[in-house]
Amino acid sequence: MSATAHIFQSQPNAARRFERATFWLFRGATYLVLLCGLAVFGTIVVKGAGALVQPKAPFINTAFFTDAPESLYVFEFEGKKFAQGDREHRAFVAEHPAAAKAKTESYVYSAGGIFPCIVGTVLLVVGSMTIALTLGVCAAIYLNEYARDGAFIRFVRLAILNLAGVPSIVFGLFGFGMFVIFFGWNVSLIAGWFTLAFMVLPVVITASEESLKAVPMGFRAGSLALGATKWQTIRTNVLPYALPGILTSSILGIARVAGETAPIMFTAAYVVRDKLPWDVTKISDFFFQGVMALPYHIYVVSSKIPQNEYTERVQYGTAFVFLLVVALIATSSILLRNKLRSRYKW
Amino acid sequence: MSDSTATVAAPAAFAVSKKRLRLLGLTLDDAIKAFFGGNALVSVVVLALITIFLFREGFGFFAQNRQNLRIYRQAGLEYVDFIRAQTDDHTALTRYLSDLRVRQIAFLQQEKKLSLADANAALAAFDAFADQFGSAIDPLRAIVSDLTEQATAIKTKFIVAGDKEEERRQLLAVGKTAEAAAVKIDAVNFSAELKPLLETRTAYLAANRELAQKLAAALDAAPKMPAPEIEARLDRFKDLSRTYIAGFPAIEKNLMTWDYTKPVPAAQSFTAFVFGREWLTASFWQDWYGVIPLLVGSVLVSFVALLIAVPFGVGAAVYVNQIASATEQKFIKPCIEFISAIPSVVLGFFGIAILGQTLRAVSQQSWLSWVPGFPYSERLNVLTAGCLLALLAVPTIFTLAEDALNNVPRAFKEASFALGASRLQTIVKIIVPASLSGIISAVLLGLGRVIGETMVVLLCAGNRIAIPDFSAGLGVITQPVHTMTGIIAQEMGEVVRGSIHYRALFVVGLLLFFLSLLINYAAQGIVRRYRISIG
Repeated sequence: MSATAHIFQSQPNAARRFERATFWLFRGATYLVLLCGLAVFGTIVVKGAGALVQPKAPFINTAFFTDAPESLYVFEFEGKKFAQGDREHRAFVAEHPAAAKAKTESYVYSAGGIFPCIVGTVLLVVGSMTIALTLGVCAAIYLNEYARDGAFIRFVRLAILNLAGVPSIVFGLFGFGMFVIFFGWNVSLIAGWFTLAFMVLPVVITASEESLKAVPMGFRAGSLALGATKWQTIRTNVLPYALPGILTSSILGIARVAGETAPIMFTAAYVVRDKLPWDVTKISDFFFQGVMALPYHIYVVSSKIPQNEYTERVQYGTAFVFLLVVALIATSSILLRNKLRSRYKW
Repeated sequence: MSDSTATVAAPAAFAVSKKRLRLLGLTLDDAIKAFFGGNALVSVVVLALITIFLFREGFGFFAQNRQNLRIYRQAGLEYVDFIRAQTDDHTALTRYLSDLRVRQIAFLQQEKKLSLADANAALAAFDAFADQFGSAIDPLRAIVSDLTEQATAIKTKFIVAGDKEEERRQLLAVGKTAEAAAVKIDAVNFSAELKPLLETRTAYLAANRELAQKLAAALDAAPKMPAPEIEARLDRFKDLSRTYIAGFPAIEKNLMTWDYTKPVPAAQSFTAFVFGREWLTASFWQDWYGVIPLLVGSVLVSFVALLIAVPFGVGAAVYVNQIASATEQKFIKPCIEFISAIPSVVLGFFGIAILGQTLRAVSQQSWLSWVPGFPYSERLNVLTAGCLLALLAVPTIFTLAEDALNNVPRAFKEASFALGASRLQTIVKIIVPASLSGIISAVLLGLGRVIGETMVVLLCAGNRIAIPDFSAGLGVITQPVHTMTGIIAQEMGEVVRGSIHYRALFVVGLLLFFLSLLINYAAQGIVRRYRISIG
């Protein structure tokens, strides 16, 4: 290529340089945001993974996933430094009675694992999403299939929009006032389910409505023309095609339910509980028991215990596991959505 | 054709007749429709229930707060607080004096090259002056501490009587009349109880006169300062002190005209909440439930967060929508969505564990000392919380602003290019103005997200319940605050159900709820009102 400039080639001038500089500014702002996200994510992954990975096989500290939280005892005995969990410490003291006199520092929740928290979070998510999906999909079907534009529908839509903007702590207060006190359910799974379900309801309704809208009108018209009733049409020709979309978009709702702390603080979460949720005498007790939950556990371990080398493991470890769970949910939702978008093209 | 009227009179039966199942007079299809309609109503019902239950738990607050204020007056606490305010002001003045002393020592050591001992010796006259000024208040302090005990005793008596009354009521409620009658209630006779309190007036007046004289004498005998700059400060101090002394007659008048029977108007329980500058609970003296410190904290944190988030959120939206290539778009959008999925409690933990220290270390760099508020020592403060909240708000603002930019018709852009505008000109003069209403509503919704966020501010805002010191200028953002969301999360677990504190938290929740509705409403209103007709 010769360097001869042809006449339409853009000439460098001040305005163009200014434009390029401005574009770089915008680009910088965008990537800085991504970098900040990466910094948060990266720190917790690196430090958390450091707490969970161990040098010998199976390389992953499985006890962290399967044990309950315990207190950690740090003490010096016979010139060596020990850091032991509750049970281990008791056994050790029984073996070496002199160790009981050693100057011991204890940190609550810093040993053991987070198994009850994982279980609690799973139970909360499953229950509340079941409620939210049932209510939300039905509401979306009405809004998209049955309703005609009018004052009533506008009112409903306004309510949905406003519900989406209500702070999560207000949902917590509401759940506390209504389920915990007025219904007398106390701090329980079921109170948490309903509180969280109402919180994600707007997300689920909006997602479901979008999926329903994506089903072409021809599907409905064809079915109605063949003499099917409205309900038959919805059941056989609309819902089956909308359902995958509804489910994938609702996964974002799951991420929100799993991640929120404020609504479950006074409705469902216990700081610590020895029994596992299925350890109940009556079936009904299952619903009326509080549980431990990952986000609340993170709050507790990051605000109630000091930060040092001994407590770091549980702090970063819990945050890492939690972030991993939420990230997994979010990623799968984004991937699934992209896949669905390319599959259903009408 | 001829007997068409007959066919109208008796319509022919359908060849296929179908009997429909009816439930409560509805066909199956109608019933299904009603069922779905009922589900659609759920969101309306939930909104109504939120309002009802927040009101139900919170509404009793105003009556209880009025009672709280009434007892404050009747037990004489208000009376004592008049004098206490006077001594507190004096303490503030002595603090000013010790600040003056520090400046003098610094001046003498650095400019005059005196040793510390010599500098201290040189300040002997000043110390005598400061001492004379400081000790003048002692008689008044003694009066206050006596009165405090008396007033607390009256209040305790009243509370005990109230508890007894409650006990009797509960006994009556379960039908134990005899036991109820046995509960002895000592009714508090306020006028008798307050008598010794009010009798101290003469002693107070004498002490006050003496104080005014002593202070004036001390001010007149103030020593000279070593530097004109410090001399100016002393003059300022003298002015402040003279204003302080000039305020004495007003305080005396307040005390003389004070009347414990003066009723507390109902509106005052409301204004004491909305305009109250103190949130003080579980105190031995008097509990205050004023929302201003919390509101200021929330607003300040949100302001900092938006200040950071708006340029980045809108900038990123413009970049992705207008400038970036298709591959870049495909990469950036999911990434930002991913950021929005980071749970707030994890961000809060990040703030406590890392960002707090990092920002403090940055603030203590000497080359950054020109930044207002730097360096600071509180790890958790408005700035830390604001930075993290900004990261929460960016995805919200980005997504909505990008939507708004996307809705601008291609024709606008093409027309602008056809007229010879550059890409930057098109973006700044055409695309952004056309989508401005959408962008503003995106920012408002971001504000709603930020102001309602709990975990980040609970963990990172420092949780000091006080109105931050705005005299620090922009440096105010490096002070710790407490927020409305944070206080609910922090105190809700510890309060007694049905107590005034419990109800106060519900009222804060109610305020937050209506604030979020207002923001939402404004966002929708702006979109509806200022949308330019496109197409």
